[in-house]
Parts: sequence; C-alpha cells; structure tokens
Amino acid sequence: MKVIYNSLFKRTSTYAVAIMASAFFFERAIDVTSNLIFDSINKGKQWKDIKGKYE
Amino acid sequence: MMKAVSCAYVRATAQALSNSLRTTGAAVATRQAHTDLQVPDFTAYRRDSVKDSRRRNESAEERKAFSYLLVGAGAVGGVYAAKGMVNAFVGSMSASADVLAMAKIEIKLSDIAEGKSVTFKWRGKPLFIRHRTPAEIETERSVPTSQLRDPETDDQRVVKPEWLVVIGVCTHLGCVPIANAGDFGGYYCPCHGSHYDASGRIRKGPAPLNLEVPTHEFPDESTLVVG
Repeated sequence: MKVIYNSLFKRTSTYAVAIMASAFFFERAIDVTSNLIFDSINKGKQWKDIKGKYE
Repeated sequence: MMKAVSCAYVRATAQALSNSLRTTGAAVATRQAHTDLQVPDFTAYRRDSVKDSRRRNESAEERKAFSYLLVGAGAVGGVYAAKGMVNAFVGSMSASADVLAMAKIEIKLSDIAEGKSVTFKWRGKPLFIRHRTPAEIETERSVPTSQLRDPETDDQRVVKPEWLVVIGVCTHLGCVPIANAGDFGGYYCPCHGSHYDASGRIRKGPAPLNLEVPTHEFPDESTLVVG
C-alpha cells in the first residue's frame, strides 16, 4: 500500500495516468466477462452455436 | 430585541473601559491567548498508531492510499462510462450500415460490350458507364484543351482509358443526357441542347461544366466499384 501510494497516488500526474491505464484493462475485463455471461445465457441460440448443423 | 439589548451592553462596557483608561492613564494589556485553558484529551478517539505525539506517523500513507484507491476506482468507472458515451455520440455521426451499403455500386464489366454506354442508378442519380473503343479514346486524347469550356484532359477524367464513368446529370439544369447522341459522339442533353463528347466534356450548348466523374476504382480486371 505504501509503495503504491508513494509511486502512484502522491502526484496528480501519475494518479491520472494510473486511472487511465487501469480504465483500459477495466474496460477489457468488463467487455469480456459481459460477453461470456451473454453467451452462457443464450447458449444454443446464437448462430455460432448452430452453425455446425448447416455446414 | 435580544440583539439590541446586547449591543447596548457592549457599547456601555466599551465606554466604561475607555473612561477608566483615560482617568488612570495606565496601559492595560489584554491577553486573549487563553493559555490557561486545558487542551482536551482525545486519546480515547485516536488510532493506536498516532497516540504518541513524538513518534513518526507511520500509518498516514497507508490510510491515504486506501482513500485514494477508492476515489481512483470511482474515477476508473467514470472514465469507462465517459468513453462509452463519447463513443456513442461520435458513432452516431457516422453513416449507418444501410447507407454505406447503398453508397457503393459494383459493376461487372464483362457484361458491357465495347462501344456501348450503360446506365445504372447510383445514390439516386443515373450513372453512365461507357466502354470506349480505341478510336474514341484516340479522338478524345487528341482534343486540345484550349478548345474546351471546362479544360480537362482525357487522362484526368478516366482511370482506365477504356472505361468512362460519369454521373448522368447535365451540368446545366440537371436533365439526364442521352447516350450516343449529339455532335461529338458522346452525350446529348435534350432539354437545352448541350453536347458532351465521349469523355463527358461539354463541347457545345449552355452547360458550364463537364459531366461529373465520381471516384471509382478497378479492384480487378472485370470489376468496377463506384463510390
């Protein structure tokens, strides 16, 4: 915690950069997990699931 | 009412004090520091790490880190939401998929015989595609630009010399010219008699400009994409 505070949170510049960098990974994580949840709820209904029957 | 009373009291006291000062002539020091007051003991409310005032505050950074972490997590969510909103607003300005699909036309060139002019509908306007013969190409290339109302060489107007692609709207008042008609073997506008040559350039009649050439390309030998 101390190291994080002194290296990132103490200066506004590094704090802002840290926020933006983590927003990038946060977005990626949210997108991937929400897609996974959507796919698991709609299992068997999407084209990629039934594609095999028609090819 | 209360206020009036207390004001009167203060004024009276101040007057009495200044009177007494004037009469005695001695300076009276008024101490306002209240050093006799006891500082309350807040030890019961303090964290263990800051109870001893002589010790360095060891836990401050850790506690600040926690607060900033919470604020930062909120900011990360805010950045994510703001990015999504900006994305949606900017995305709403770009053309939708159906518009983009209508914006281009792909033409199979093997269906158009040499010397023929074919009309297609593109973005709500007629599109003339002319498969020119070598003789026509030669004629258009040899026209000196000094003779032209809207001087453009043939090479400026075509990508491949065999294929002329123009928008079939007369530059005069917007009629649709007739292909393979007129004095110059190109297009002729029946409305007011503008003659265009086989490069779509205005040669005679009231029209001020050459027929418009849309951006087009040839992805392969037998395909033309306009748009």
